[in-house]
Amino acid sequence: MSGGGGWERIRSTRGGRLSRETSLTGRTARTVRLGRVQPQAPGYRTIFCNDREANLPVRFKGNSISTTKYNFLTFLPKGLFEQFRRVANCYFLLISILSMTPISPVNPVTNVVPLSLVLFVSLIKEAFEDWKRLQNDMVINNNPVDVLHDQVWETIPWKKLQVGDIVRIKQDGFFPADLLFLASTNADGVCYIETSNLDGETNLKIRKAVERTWDYLTPEKAVEFKGEVQCEQPNNSLYTFTGNLIIENQTLPLSPNQLLLRGCSLRNTEYIVGAVIFTGHETKVMMNSMNVPSKRSTLERKLDKLILALFGTLFGMCLVGAIGSGIFISSDYYYLELQRGVGLEFNPSSRFSVAILTLFTLITLYSTIIPISLYVSIEMIKFIQCAQFINKDLHMYHVETNTPALARTSNLNEELGQVEYIFSDKTGTLTRNLMEFFKCSIGGEVYGTGFTEIERGGAQRMGAKIQEAQRSPHAVHEKGFNFDDSRIMRGAWRNESNPDVCKEFFRCLAICHTVLTEGDESPDKITYQAASPDEAALVTAAKNFGFFFYRRTPTMIYVRESHVEKMGNITDVPYEILNVLEFNSTRKRQSVVCRYADGRLVLYCKGADTVIYERLADGNNELKKITREHLEQFGSAGLRTLCLAYKDLNPETYESWNEKFIQAKSSLRDREKKLDEVAELIEKDLILIGATAIEDKLQEGVPACIETLAKAGIKIWVLTGDKMETAINIAYEHFVQGDQVEIARFMKEVVKEELKRCLEEAQHSMCTVSGPKLTLVIDGKCLMYALDPSLRVMLLNLSLNCSSVVCCRVSPLQKAQVTSLVKKGARKITLSIGDGANDVSMIQAAHIGVGISGMEGMQAVMASDFAIAQFRFLTDLLLVHGRWSYLRICKVITYFFYKNLTFTLTQFWFTFHTGFSGQRFYDDWFQSLYNVIFTALPVIIVGLFDKDVSAALSKKYPELYKEGIKNMFFKWRVVWTWAFFSVYQSLVFYHFVTISGTSGKNLSGRMFGLWDVSTMAFTCVVITVNLRLLMMCNSITRWHYISVGGSILAWFVFILIYSLLRENVYYVIYVLMGTFYFYLTIILVPIVALLGDFIYQGVERWFFPYDYQVVQEMHRNDPEDNSRAGLLEIGNRLTPQEERSYAIAQLPRELSKHTGFAFDSPGYESFFAAQLGVHAPQKAWDVARRASMRGKPKPSKKH
Amino acid sequence: MSNDNAAPSSSSAAANGSADSAAPRRNSKRPKYSKFTQQELPACKPILTPGWVISAFLLVSVIFVPIGVASLFASRDVVEVVDRYETACIPAQNRTNKVAYIQSSANKICVRTLTVPKRMKAPIYIYYELDNFYQNHRRYVKSRNDMQLRSNSSQDDTSNCKPEDLINGTAIVPCGLIAWSLFNDTYSFSRGNESLNVNKKDISWKSDRDHKFGDNVFPKNFQSGGLKGGGSLNESKPLSEQEDLIVWMRTAALPTFRKLYGRIEVDLNRGDTINVTLGNHYNTYSFNGKKRLVLSTTSWLGGKNDFLGIAYLTVGGLCLFLAVCFIIVYLVKPRRLGDPSYLSWNRSPGGR
Repeated sequence: MSGGGGWERIRSTRGGRLSRETSLTGRTARTVRLGRVQPQAPGYRTIFCNDREANLPVRFKGNSISTTKYNFLTFLPKGLFEQFRRVANCYFLLISILSMTPISPVNPVTNVVPLSLVLFVSLIKEAFEDWKRLQNDMVINNNPVDVLHDQVWETIPWKKLQVGDIVRIKQDGFFPADLLFLASTNADGVCYIETSNLDGETNLKIRKAVERTWDYLTPEKAVEFKGEVQCEQPNNSLYTFTGNLIIENQTLPLSPNQLLLRGCSLRNTEYIVGAVIFTGHETKVMMNSMNVPSKRSTLERKLDKLILALFGTLFGMCLVGAIGSGIFISSDYYYLELQRGVGLEFNPSSRFSVAILTLFTLITLYSTIIPISLYVSIEMIKFIQCAQFINKDLHMYHVETNTPALARTSNLNEELGQVEYIFSDKTGTLTRNLMEFFKCSIGGEVYGTGFTEIERGGAQRMGAKIQEAQRSPHAVHEKGFNFDDSRIMRGAWRNESNPDVCKEFFRCLAICHTVLTEGDESPDKITYQAASPDEAALVTAAKNFGFFFYRRTPTMIYVRESHVEKMGNITDVPYEILNVLEFNSTRKRQSVVCRYADGRLVLYCKGADTVIYERLADGNNELKKITREHLEQFGSAGLRTLCLAYKDLNPETYESWNEKFIQAKSSLRDREKKLDEVAELIEKDLILIGATAIEDKLQEGVPACIETLAKAGIKIWVLTGDKMETAINIAYEHFVQGDQVEIARFMKEVVKEELKRCLEEAQHSMCTVSGPKLTLVIDGKCLMYALDPSLRVMLLNLSLNCSSVVCCRVSPLQKAQVTSLVKKGARKITLSIGDGANDVSMIQAAHIGVGISGMEGMQAVMASDFAIAQFRFLTDLLLVHGRWSYLRICKVITYFFYKNLTFTLTQFWFTFHTGFSGQRFYDDWFQSLYNVIFTALPVIIVGLFDKDVSAALSKKYPELYKEGIKNMFFKWRVVWTWAFFSVYQSLVFYHFVTISGTSGKNLSGRMFGLWDVSTMAFTCVVITVNLRLLMMCNSITRWHYISVGGSILAWFVFILIYSLLRENVYYVIYVLMGTFYFYLTIILVPIVALLGDFIYQGVERWFFPYDYQVVQEMHRNDPEDNSRAGLLEIGNRLTPQEERSYAIAQLPRELSKHTGFAFDSPGYESFFAAQLGVHAPQKAWDVARRASMRGKPKPSKKH
Repeated sequence: MSNDNAAPSSSSAAANGSADSAAPRRNSKRPKYSKFTQQELPACKPILTPGWVISAFLLVSVIFVPIGVASLFASRDVVEVVDRYETACIPAQNRTNKVAYIQSSANKICVRTLTVPKRMKAPIYIYYELDNFYQNHRRYVKSRNDMQLRSNSSQDDTSNCKPEDLINGTAIVPCGLIAWSLFNDTYSFSRGNESLNVNKKDISWKSDRDHKFGDNVFPKNFQSGGLKGGGSLNESKPLSEQEDLIVWMRTAALPTFRKLYGRIEVDLNRGDTINVTLGNHYNTYSFNGKKRLVLSTTSWLGGKNDFLGIAYLTVGGLCLFLAVCFIIVYLVKPRRLGDPSYLSWNRSPGGR
């Protein structure tokens, strides 16, 4: 803001307004005092600014923050506690304790070693993550900030900052704590801040200091500032703040308008001075940081069932053993000496207690059936999948916005492979949110040439050829403006039949908005800061029509109007803005009351067609009808429309209304509601001017992506705030591939009958073979009724019968409701994708939330599980990463299940031959290292590297994805197959080795003992289990060989060393290896064990191949996928088209939140907030502007 | 984990702000290319085609059948004479109460006659085989103290040995149930009038003798309690020379087991009758255990055990059979690899 003439004028009049302002502040001060005596108020804090000693007794928290979970001392206890919240770990702790008691057949190491290893790995991971957080914190804590000390600005790190300190923040700097805004270099004591870190909104917001403190700008002055701040205790409400500044016995009320929150940054202001109010963890942003509700994948929940089944098996096995032991025990076995003083454990006279104790013995013995390292392995696999594969995939890197994909949680990788429903936001997700003024209708005449992509697509389908109008050479195409019509451009509108309407139209565009200007006040250099790109586009349009809005002050809007009266005449026209009636999602309109320099009072209004038409004055039906036709025409072309209207006000009516308005504005309760009511009073009897149409361009590759996803069996629902016509067009354009389309379309009332009828219709057409594809289009109002519990089921049935569903005009809450309707009602896996704050609720409600990152604010991304830059990257995310992850995790789980079951069953068979005594078959260390060393690594390698078909083929054959949706690889049938072969293999291991081991070995005729046999069996198990892994791999890299070979080798190295150390297995392996028997068995047993699986796999592939297997075969001779060359070029060399879009992306642009006027309001209207009854706070921006609005219009003209 | 790292990262991002958003665009976040992160590691992609299946089966049968034949021949080469004697060695009048007989102090010498069916080449191994004897019972297996067995210095260490640990407060060496229940039937052999020498040296694994049983540990208080579980030991010989004990203490894996008793180091001819003078001392009658005496030669593979050979032959044969089956199926109804009509979406709706 370069201080122009306007500012001077305002300053000069300040004295005159002072009395009014004090009366205003006096009123607010009273209310603040009222607030403080409220009993529920938790008290307040008093801060002595610029006086560290005075603040000392209160012991405010320091400004250093710590986001770490642990510190040096708490790490072990807290970390362990976290680990033992997992049932599996608890179970193993219990087993470990049990194995310390004498009833245990195994040495405690058997269970303690795996448990401690698992805990160790988990703790290391925790420590590593915490270390990264610590480093991050240190960087933040050591940022420099200027603080006032002895009349000079002294630079200290953030962490040294204390409550009450006076600090200086320079342009683009971040606020180190929550500050009370005292003074700014800007005139009028305002500063501009960006809050994108807080709420993702990138438009600038205004903050204004209390006038009394404007002067404390220089160190010399600031040092004199000795205020006392009384304010509320730290809380997490970003949009509220109450407090008083007591300065020289004067009490000044403070509002959120004076509060600069940590995490925001200063813009367009050289520097500001502020006093620290809340520090460190007491800042609002820190108090807002909370854990995202964690989501668990469906597969993992199914895994729980598997684990339960394993528990059941375990119990069954133990029961069999226990009963056997009760029957077996007898004093006839005199060599066991069961007569003399034997414990209950083996006492033949109390068979029941023998059985009970044996039950516990066996539980410890068979504990290996629960795969202890499964969870930690899966976690590691998923973590690497996220960090290394998803985040670093070049296919999902968007060059233009320099955004790679980001997996914000690693819980849901495999869930990505099973998605059946996608709920997509339209604006910003399917479309670019690059609004361009495309057409308009003024006074019943359509202006603007050109065709939208949707029109082209429609024409193509109809076989018609569109005559592309030749663009005039002078056509302007800048950001936000893609319009050409020689009839009204360059002042030609004056020759149209209704130039006055045109004038109103353009003025409405130039005046009725909340846009801020930035930069030079020349048409080429100015940039507009708008709350929504639509607004910026409209203002840009006005500029191009010759109504250049170039400056805004709190009370005035300056428009440089050319050609108003005659060509070449350029005048700067000021308009006094008297009232702004805000836009919000219920009003769906925005009005401005302005006073012309000649005293004319006009209300300009723009808004959604429905609300504007309700408020039009009677008469002129012809225009209304034509304009409505135009609106429908625009809508069907996929354009976003707004109606413009105006109304001349007579001063008396206005004055009386304005009083009510001021009253409403200053009311303390239900202010929003009252303001809306007051607005209704004046927003009536409007005169229609025309309508605007803005094109929201589709994102790159969206149609292809949707087609691919549809082929993959994924159903896409579009939940949009757009008009029904637009939505239907989008539906036509993208979802409906076939020719026969029947749209079950219903609105508003008689929803129930309609639902019933549609459902019957739908079911009827489903029955007919190759019936038409159905699309359900439902609007928000109707949805409100349809979501009623009594109708919900019917709605669900209907929508599940349709191939695609479009919900238009839905609110964020409804988006979430629809999502959870399908999630809970149909029990299908859902994915929500969106980019804006209005999508947060549905992102959180779905199984998987995907945020579009790069262009927009952070709010959707913050709530999401995965963030990608473009909608089309969903193909890669789902079809490649999701599918592979699903496949891999399924393999990992089933393999874990198999290897532990097999191993434990060999123990079980042995139990039958030991008089059910629970004697262990294997040595303690064999058993404890089986899971953590001998079979641990290869399965992780499979979890990382296995891929059935290449990424390119995954996308070429999207149908492969259906295997995931049907959950083909983790059905009970699959589990049972594995279980069957486990039993078979364990029988082979046990019986082949024991039977063949009972005769003398070698020429020496010596016999084997128990440990010889068990070592032999264990060797076979390790080899077989590792080879079985290789058999289930679709692609075998050298890491597979290394890990499988390494695991087997590790066993041999281990046993060769170990058998020199331990008594019972002393020399066993050397004895074994000295016999031919060893080598013959080691060949025989694994092959026999794997024969069953081999036959099964062979037959399955031969006669009942999976789809992926057929695809593998079809492409078996393809060369190794050489997409490498292409990948290397991503971001290095661009195609011409990419280059162009890159250049566009490089243009200065406002990155801002979509608040399409068709509906939708950014803010915190989260699904959960609404459920909790939390009122959605008003936008900070509104607060700023409302405060800058004067209570009364000035009686006199400005010049 | 994800849950945990999501929250702080968000807050820290909020707090430290867009250090990177403010940074110039040049600061590319483009991931670096690596075969690992792009999941393009070179890999072999085995496809289990019919060809592979058939050749795998053929390969297995080609390897397994010869091995099976060889093992079977080796096993068949072994001559084994088995004599079950636990009932036969009890005088007919005592057979109603065998336990009482075996626990009495009567003379339990019994003579058995064996006929050699085939020429047996020296060395001929003498085994005893017990049945229904749970040497692998949990109470039994752990009832020993390896430290005590190994070194003289820890001979008072009798942990794990209960109830055969102490007598009148002094340690039993060797302690525990295993040693206590030492097998004590004795065999001596004669062919006609010529007595056959039984070599009881070197019947245990060398590693056991050298390492597990100390040469300075002598039996003490052994079998001196009220109840005798089995054989006694010569107190003047160190444990490392008590080979019967060493063999016995290498506990068997299954309740039916053989243990080496000694060797006859002369060839036996076909038709030879061997007289066994048998001291039937060991009580298997309490638990109805059988006792057998086994004479056996060995082959390169060991004693008589057809299992390996049969298993190899069966598997080899099965694979051959499967290979033939698959070949026939392949010839009758060949499967074109990668036939798109197999794809579920090309088949009738409803899929597999």
